[in-house]
Amino acid sequence: MKTETAPEAPAVPPAAEPRPPARALPVWANPRLGLLIVIAVLVVLFSSLTPAFLDPRLTLAPLQADISVYVVVGLAQLAVLSLGHMNMAVGRMAALSTFAMGLAYDRLGVPLLVGLLVGLAVGAGIGALAGLLIAKTGVNSFVVTLALDFGLLGLVTILYTWATGGVSFAVQPSGLSALRFDTFADYCMGEVCGPRIPLVVPIAVAAALGVGLLFRHARLGREILMTGSNTVAAELSGIPTHRRVVAAHALSGLLAALAGFLLAANNGAFSANIGESFLLPSFLAPVLGGTLLAGGAVSVLGTALGATLTQVIYKGLNLLQFSLEELKLYIGLVLLAALSLDRLRAVLAERRAVSSS
Amino acid sequence: MRSVIRTNEFTLAVIAALGFAALAVATDFNLLTAGTLDAFLRFLALPIVIGLAQMVVLAVGQMNLSVGVLTGFCAVASGWLMVDAGLPAPVAVLAALALGAVVGLVNGLLVIFTRINGFIVTLATMTILEGLRYGVNGTGTYQGYSPGLREFGQASVAGVPVVFLLAVVIAVAVALFFRRTVPGRHLLAFGGNPFAARLSGISNDRALVLAHTLSGLLAGFAAVIVVAAFGSVNASIGDDLLLPSFAAPIIGGVALAGGMISVTGTVLAAFLVRLVDVSQSQFDINRRWVDLIIGAVVLGAVLLGQFRDKLSGGPR
Repeated sequence: MKTETAPEAPAVPPAAEPRPPARALPVWANPRLGLLIVIAVLVVLFSSLTPAFLDPRLTLAPLQADISVYVVVGLAQLAVLSLGHMNMAVGRMAALSTFAMGLAYDRLGVPLLVGLLVGLAVGAGIGALAGLLIAKTGVNSFVVTLALDFGLLGLVTILYTWATGGVSFAVQPSGLSALRFDTFADYCMGEVCGPRIPLVVPIAVAAALGVGLLFRHARLGREILMTGSNTVAAELSGIPTHRRVVAAHALSGLLAALAGFLLAANNGAFSANIGESFLLPSFLAPVLGGTLLAGGAVSVLGTALGATLTQVIYKGLNLLQFSLEELKLYIGLVLLAALSLDRLRAVLAERRAVSSS
Repeated sequence: MRSVIRTNEFTLAVIAALGFAALAVATDFNLLTAGTLDAFLRFLALPIVIGLAQMVVLAVGQMNLSVGVLTGFCAVASGWLMVDAGLPAPVAVLAALALGAVVGLVNGLLVIFTRINGFIVTLATMTILEGLRYGVNGTGTYQGYSPGLREFGQASVAGVPVVFLLAVVIAVAVALFFRRTVPGRHLLAFGGNPFAARLSGISNDRALVLAHTLSGLLAGFAAVIVVAAFGSVNASIGDDLLLPSFAAPIIGGVALAGGMISVTGTVLAAFLVRLVDVSQSQFDINRRWVDLIIGAVVLGAVLLGQFRDKLSGGPR
């Protein structure tokens, strides 16, 4: 098996990752390393099958923009997986937030950044609402966010009909098309031009770094992880667990809003269908990256790699003329294979650790 | 008597009866005319069976995200058997049921062999099935198959659609399975406390596989209802079934943690959701208000349940 490095590595944010609880596994059992190898092999495979895969302008730049969106989508789910919760409304939270952004640009004519902040605030607010409902009532997060998803699905369409009479805003705030089309190669200082990386990539990298630092070094993040690991113990150690639940869900909503903004920038429109395709990838990325559904441990780097892997597969099979529905078949098989291998690797590694001790 | 009044099922039954009566009055009793009532019940069959398919896995504390897409896949596959392969309708029906059960079995086996969370396993199989469902016939539609099967879908006995009766029979069978049979009791015991169940000699693995297989089989039944009652099948069937499949058991008072089910509650909840659906078409309301209302009802039902538990001193 070839394991040479990819000719052009896709955007991988160099984010921090908290170590899973003390379980000394050998290096080869690290799921992140496995993901990296699989991505490299796939990139080599796709570029040998179709040279168009390495086209910087037509393939690699859009690929990086797509990865950026889905890294942030994965992070939005990761924020609540840290608690052992789920956010089934991640796509619809993004939709509501992008509606708020579109409304701000359309009616108030605010600059790009202000509209983004408005949307982020709406996302954090709706996330906090979900967190508050979960913390106050003790109802399963799956049920609360599923119900919220139903509710928002209706609300978003009604709001768009009310505000635009259709399903999208016509407004194009200044700077949006730069985010959509430009790469750093379009900005030169004298003779030196930047690399061909879309402008949205640094935003996703910053988000991944921020979330990574939060869960690794910030008190808030550590306390959220402790709450996810053992709520009773966290409560007894003086952590206000209810507030941490609200904070994690607010963060999830905020990141969903950011993902919605990035997708709107990529599509060039603030429309009602933003977020429709978020739910499955939001789980794929963190789970492929080794984040458990049980809570208490997260891997930001793994999430970024998981999102990269799925988007590389989508892009590669897409170039090979596979239809969207066929793609799904392979994505599902890859997910199952990756998870089974992961399980096998963990079992083997544990066995070796036991026999050598 | 008080213990009956206090149950979730009783509350739901009262709400369902009041809602039905209110809708009947509001539509000038149009709801009670033979045609409208017939359509009301005919399209109630699918939500009931889909809700039960989800409830069976919720009983052991698992989820089946593939339930809607599996229904679509079985429906399209039986369409292919009848139209393209030219097989008679009974064979296609049995094949749909077998296919559902086999996919459910695979789900269960994957869960026990990989020890991966059932949520993730069925998320993966859902994605795979989406591809397969499309692979059978692309975007094409199968129609004009077996007149006998379509007549079965349109037939009524004493004003009650046969497919609705089929759904009721399935619901009764599921209820008897959980109440009277040994495997059914084992599933509930496992769902309530896996460790205690294992100590009492119940195989955890067998319970998980059985629950997933049953869920798949019920999705197969849902597919048969679709094929018979809708008169045509294509690759989009099942896309809008996932959320209702959770809504019915959750409104019906089934605990996600497992060990507790309510067939009556699930059926009544499916009835309520159908009621909202019908009022939408009767009053020509924006389709999206229905989603908003159902979301509010799910949340309201759960909060009400919590509130009631608190009043009666802790969860039942």
